[in-house]
Amino acid sequence: MKRDPLFRRKTSISYKTEEKTVMRGYDLSELAEKEYSFCDALFILYQNRIPTENEEKMLNYEMGVFIEHSMSPSAVGAIGVAMGRPNLPASVAASIMTFGGVHGPGAAHGYMLNKYIERAQREGKTLKEMAKILVDEYLDNGTPVMGMGQPQHIDSDPRAEPIHLKQEELKVDGVYLEFQRALEEYFHERRRKEGKSYVGVNVVGSGNTALCDIGFAPNAAWCIGSVCRGFSCSAHALFNMKKGRAWGASRQEPMVQIIDLSMIKYIGPPDRKVPKQEERQEYARKQKETGEYKQWVI
Amino acid sequence: MGDLKNKTGIGNLDSPKLPYDYSQREYGTVPLDTTKRAPFQWVSEVAYKNVHRIVARGYDTTELMEEGYGVVDVLFVDFQSRIPLIEEAKMLNYVMILALEDGLSMPAVMARITAQSKTFLTQACGASVLAFGHAYGAYSAFGNRLEEYLKRGKEQGKSLEQIAVQLVQENIADEALGVSGLMLKDPAAQRMLARAEKLGVAGEYIAFTKEIVKAAQQLSKEPVDLDMLGATGATMMDLGFTPEATWAIMACTRALGVGAHYIEEIEREGYTRTGQNLTPKEDYDGPDDRPVPSLKERAKNAKSAQTKTPDEWKKAFDEKKKIFGSGFSIVEEIEDPSKKTGIKKVGR
Repeated sequence: MKRDPLFRRKTSISYKTEEKTVMRGYDLSELAEKEYSFCDALFILYQNRIPTENEEKMLNYEMGVFIEHSMSPSAVGAIGVAMGRPNLPASVAASIMTFGGVHGPGAAHGYMLNKYIERAQREGKTLKEMAKILVDEYLDNGTPVMGMGQPQHIDSDPRAEPIHLKQEELKVDGVYLEFQRALEEYFHERRRKEGKSYVGVNVVGSGNTALCDIGFAPNAAWCIGSVCRGFSCSAHALFNMKKGRAWGASRQEPMVQIIDLSMIKYIGPPDRKVPKQEERQEYARKQKETGEYKQWVI
Repeated sequence: MGDLKNKTGIGNLDSPKLPYDYSQREYGTVPLDTTKRAPFQWVSEVAYKNVHRIVARGYDTTELMEEGYGVVDVLFVDFQSRIPLIEEAKMLNYVMILALEDGLSMPAVMARITAQSKTFLTQACGASVLAFGHAYGAYSAFGNRLEEYLKRGKEQGKSLEQIAVQLVQENIADEALGVSGLMLKDPAAQRMLARAEKLGVAGEYIAFTKEIVKAAQQLSKEPVDLDMLGATGATMMDLGFTPEATWAIMACTRALGVGAHYIEEIEREGYTRTGQNLTPKEDYDGPDDRPVPSLKERAKNAKSAQTKTPDEWKKAFDEKKKIFGSGFSIVEEIEDPSKKTGIKKVGR
């Protein structure tokens, strides 16, 4: 059997020989045999270090609360893909790929914290002062503050504050939690003064803060959050594949299905005749001239 | 309507049995079905949430964590609707560590290639999951085969040993056998089964897999032994995970690891532009370079694909098999994988 490398790269992450697979110097099998946890392994992978017990507990907690979120874009994506009955990994991949600038934007939150904490250090400001600057800059600019608000958990994300508290309980709170708390405090104060409703911290705001304090870079934290959601989305896709109807349009189901024809609402241009080829050039020229089509360009 | 209006006599469009007049088919969307059936809702046995809670299989997920459960426990909750024994959780933890990293294998390579295009990390991680098929990471194919042979063998009153021999005889060359020459020098797969036995979580699937290994060692011309697919697949199934759940859990676990490869690729290699990569001519074994004929000469140079008899068809088909990249030499069985995936052979 051909075992040539598929791809040549200098890497400091791992190597694999016929005898063993080694990650950051540790034989993976030995790590498992010595009863390190999967979360420990993630620290080794992303940070090249064995974490303290409490750091490991914090990661386990954060991933545990983040895995399942019922119907979010990720689960909907997984189910939507599963409806065509591809192989399961297509659904799992789709669920992970739903994580972007709005759904679980963990890296963006981390980059935001790093940028402003660095600014505080550079400008000689306290974290509290810089948190106020961040909130003002974002809100004055009409930009949502990363980590605040959740469209479904409108009274505050049920996972968020417990994560903050767990961080304090485990004594793994650092500069990030101090900054995030200050940010939240001023954010609430400003919205209150402006007569606006309460918008709580979400699981990115709290979970990502914890991941930052236990040493994960923004993208590493994002990977942990978004990919661990893939586990639960797999379960949602599997439920659909094993117990649901394919396609999502059957008229035999007692409930209207998600892509039943009646679910389609069309708000585009009115019905119109296809121009004959002999009319085409003139027709197309007029369309370009009037520019009416531009309102529909996306 | 365009020309279709006048195309009566084509196919079934003017059949009296066609329940509508094709030439007069209506425009407009279908009205909402508000009378006969219940409106659409996301139906789930797995989880729900409201404004203040997220609940998986009946358990509030934050309360699970507050009570000291962890990631691996939630996987049992989501996929099996149960809290695992401590030994089971330990075993899953063990399996996941082994699945986290695999060097520059396909998931990492796919993530790294995706990274080169300046994408989000999540795209690269998603791409890595797509590496899991019926050869690499073939947990579904492996597990479903175990289930199928066990069921059939038991119905026929055969012993595990007899069933294993039959399975190996019928599938010895399959990539998803779980036995191969890949782990002859690496003890990790054997250690995984030993750990499962030590923890008391080994069951029928591990026992059956061990019989498969014995049978394969007798029937194979090459030295073979249990590989990571076999060890992981059998252990996961003894932990109660279905072949499909195993497939997904292992793919996600590996995707958690490939995030590091995405990051390292950007840190050390940077991005790739459109058209940047060359393909050396020495790697090319297609037709020799040839002039593009003018359109006027099309008729002289064009070849028609139509055949008129089965014999002609067969001859043309076999000829087309010689064209790499045409797809004629591959046979795939694309079936609904709702219940079981990966049993049927696909590929060459």
